[in-house]
Amino acid sequence: MTEPLLDSTLLKKLDRLAILTRRAMAGDIQGERRSPRRGSSVEFADFRPYTVGDDIRQIDWNLYARAERFYLKLFVAEEELTVHLLVDTSASMDWGTPNKLRYARQLAAAFGYIALSNLDRVTVTAFGASGSGSQHAAALPGVRGKRGAVPLFGFLQRLSPSPGGDLGKACHRYIQTARTPGPLLLCSDLLDPGWKDALSALSSRPFEITVMHTLAPQELEPDLDGDFKLVDVESGTPVEISADLDLLRRYREHLAAWRAEVESFCSGRGITYLPVDTSVPIEEFVLGRMRRRGVLR
Amino acid sequence: MSLIAPLALLAAAVVGPLIVAMYLLKLRREERPISSTFLWQRMVRDVEANAPWQKLRRSLLLLLQLLLMLLLVFALARPFFATQGISGRNLIIIIDHSASMGAIDEPPTRLEAAKQQAYRLIDQLPDGGRATIIAAGGQMAVPAAATSDRRELRRAVEQITLSNAGGSDLAQPLTLAAALAAREEDSEVAIISDGNVTLPDDLRVPATVSYFPIGRSTENAAVSAIALQAGPASQTLFVQATNYGQQVTERRLDIYLDGSVFNAYNLTLEPGREQSIVAEIPAQVQVVEARLAGEDPLPADDRAIAVSTLGDALNVRLVSNGNRFLATGLALLPGLRVTTVPTSTTVFTETVAQVPVTILDGVVPPTLPPGNLLFIGPVRSTEFFSVTGEIEFPVVRPVGGDDPILRNVSLSEVSVLKAARIVPGSWGRVVVDSDGTPLLVVGEREGRRVAVLAFDLHNSDLPLQVAFPLLLSNLMGYLAPGSGAEASQLLPGQPLALQVDETIGEVRVTRPDGVTVSSRNGAVQIQGGQAIYADTEQLGVYTVEEFAGGELVARHRYAVNLFAPGESRIAAQRDLSIPQVSGAQSTVSRERDGRQEFWRWVALAALIVLIVEWLVYQRNSLSYLRERWRQRRA
Repeated sequence: MTEPLLDSTLLKKLDRLAILTRRAMAGDIQGERRSPRRGSSVEFADFRPYTVGDDIRQIDWNLYARAERFYLKLFVAEEELTVHLLVDTSASMDWGTPNKLRYARQLAAAFGYIALSNLDRVTVTAFGASGSGSQHAAALPGVRGKRGAVPLFGFLQRLSPSPGGDLGKACHRYIQTARTPGPLLLCSDLLDPGWKDALSALSSRPFEITVMHTLAPQELEPDLDGDFKLVDVESGTPVEISADLDLLRRYREHLAAWRAEVESFCSGRGITYLPVDTSVPIEEFVLGRMRRRGVLR
Repeated sequence: MSLIAPLALLAAAVVGPLIVAMYLLKLRREERPISSTFLWQRMVRDVEANAPWQKLRRSLLLLLQLLLMLLLVFALARPFFATQGISGRNLIIIIDHSASMGAIDEPPTRLEAAKQQAYRLIDQLPDGGRATIIAAGGQMAVPAAATSDRRELRRAVEQITLSNAGGSDLAQPLTLAAALAAREEDSEVAIISDGNVTLPDDLRVPATVSYFPIGRSTENAAVSAIALQAGPASQTLFVQATNYGQQVTERRLDIYLDGSVFNAYNLTLEPGREQSIVAEIPAQVQVVEARLAGEDPLPADDRAIAVSTLGDALNVRLVSNGNRFLATGLALLPGLRVTTVPTSTTVFTETVAQVPVTILDGVVPPTLPPGNLLFIGPVRSTEFFSVTGEIEFPVVRPVGGDDPILRNVSLSEVSVLKAARIVPGSWGRVVVDSDGTPLLVVGEREGRRVAVLAFDLHNSDLPLQVAFPLLLSNLMGYLAPGSGAEASQLLPGQPLALQVDETIGEVRVTRPDGVTVSSRNGAVQIQGGQAIYADTEQLGVYTVEEFAGGELVARHRYAVNLFAPGESRIAAQRDLSIPQVSGAQSTVSRERDGRQEFWRWVALAALIVLIVEWLVYQRNSLSYLRERWRQRRA
């Protein structure tokens, strides 16, 4: 094993954080999050007339004494939250200094650890063609509690880049198979023609999506001068360029326009968009930028 | 336009494809893996919208390199234009720098135009060719001899300055050029002059002679003579102006006395004619200047200066028993103070400085007086000559050509009754003789000038003729150089000679340009009782001061004027007749196979293309710098 994804000082700081959700979400089992359902917490929610089959223990006798009718006293349910971590492991992510994939794993680890320390459920899914050509994503089905951090980190450590992948298809499949909606963290560079498809697929179900648009500094400011044949590590498609200042300037304009496009696309669908520059230290990013954007508290 | 080395063009056939091949190889770009070509592809689609321009930009370097290569190969092929000029590999350039080349009809002067022509000829010199520069006119000079260093040649030409001295004699330069040309095969002589030159008759130049005439104007007027005669109470000024041109010209002659205007005369000068002015001017005037107002092509001869000789009369001692002819003749000569001494005198106490000339008329004292001597009809031998008897009815016959003693003197009508038969020493030069017996001997011995006239004036009809005062004047001019009105005027380059005695310690000369030179540093030489200053090229007044023991004892003025009709006649000759080895006589510039090579300019263009190519190659850095600059400005 190489060095740990997150060092212990960072983990201690992460203990104090929590994932913010904008609305209540239903979970499978009891937890610490408000759920839209009525359940058995101490917090009053509503009254409801008794119908046959209701648990008579929930009847509010004080109200019966006043109204001579049976009413049930309902409480807010507190359930666990399922946090979905999606990591793009396509070959394009395994590039750049600092490496984008490693950064994405670190982000996922941090986010997952925060969720686990809040007794939430964490599922991790790696996109990309793992295995022999099949489009099946490697997945960690779900861990709970701080004990779950060990398998979570282990899984993320084991993630390896896959030669290709279709982001759109992978997202479609994930949406169809995911059981409970919850906060969803997508770590990807979106360098895929189907990025719009993928984001709209994710937003079709009530997930609270945060897109970590991970780009390496070499992509933000290409260090090129001269005539080059640029080869795509994923598809192998070559592009011939004669890099000069003018071309680089146009590349930067292009990149900015694209990021703006992604951002407006996201805001149109209630997706939180966070541009990530892998040259920013992970601690600074998680404790600073993510909190400022209201993803964490 | 043609090429000297067309084979060099073959290099283009080799190097051209090489460059193209290298360029094609270079097009194989360096491969660089990147995360995704997603963004690049979208951009390249944009770029391809203006693809033709992009393609051109990409091959701009190739085009520039090919252009550079073509220019270099073209320069190697040594292209040239056929021009009128010279083609020889051994070039001898004779540049006339006589006074007439100072004419300003070819701006700025003819000499400058001649230099420009010389530069052109040097430029046309084929590679490896050699050239010799000869400056003709006055003192001949060879500032550059048989060198192929163009810079040295140009420097040599540049250093040629106008020379007022002497005439425009091409005999010596042409003889030298012929000798130089005879040594080499492919020789050519180029004469750059206005053509107012004297040519040798008996020279056959073993080379092609080209003549490049300089000058277009023919009109010129000059002050051709000036004289200031000292009279008893005033001075007589004589000025002559001559029109050397071909058209009538009207000029104003201004007379300045000691720098202030005295009078002006309007003169109408017929072509080839002169006009004179005679004026009485006050005795105290020291320097008279005559100036032709207005402009003409040659300004140097529009001005002449005369200096007063009043007061510095020459003391002459006449030892005679009374000779009316001689006394009258001497009295007619200006600037002489004659002291008559009886023949019985035997002791002469005055020094040379006080009495420089003694005339011994029919008497020979036992002790000869110091200074220069003129013996007339000597009766006995002296240390200078022996008297061996008498001859009767000698035939008076001048010896040789134009001795200055006999200038303007005609002796053909002179009869002599009897003369002393004298045998002069080796110092003597016989000027007039009669069947081997000298009648007039002049010469110099131990710094003393001696003249001997063998017959008594009473035994001849010479005093009754016009020749007598002229001969007397010439003799006195010889015996007392540097004195008298005539001696105060010099021609440019003529040495200034002054009789000094041994008490004079220093002689200073102040030149017209204000520079003072002295005998102390050797610029003025004192030897044999004479002070000599030779550098009289400049026109104007020279002031000579004599110092004895630190005290000024005498001051003389000399005027140097350009009285040279040959130089004032400035009309340029179209042809010079010089016999050449080809049998041709004419030296008119014809169309000749001169070659004006211009590969240097082609190479310069190649250099510029190289710089442009480099800038295009480095355009990234340039635009980076520009951006930085803009940021800093902002």
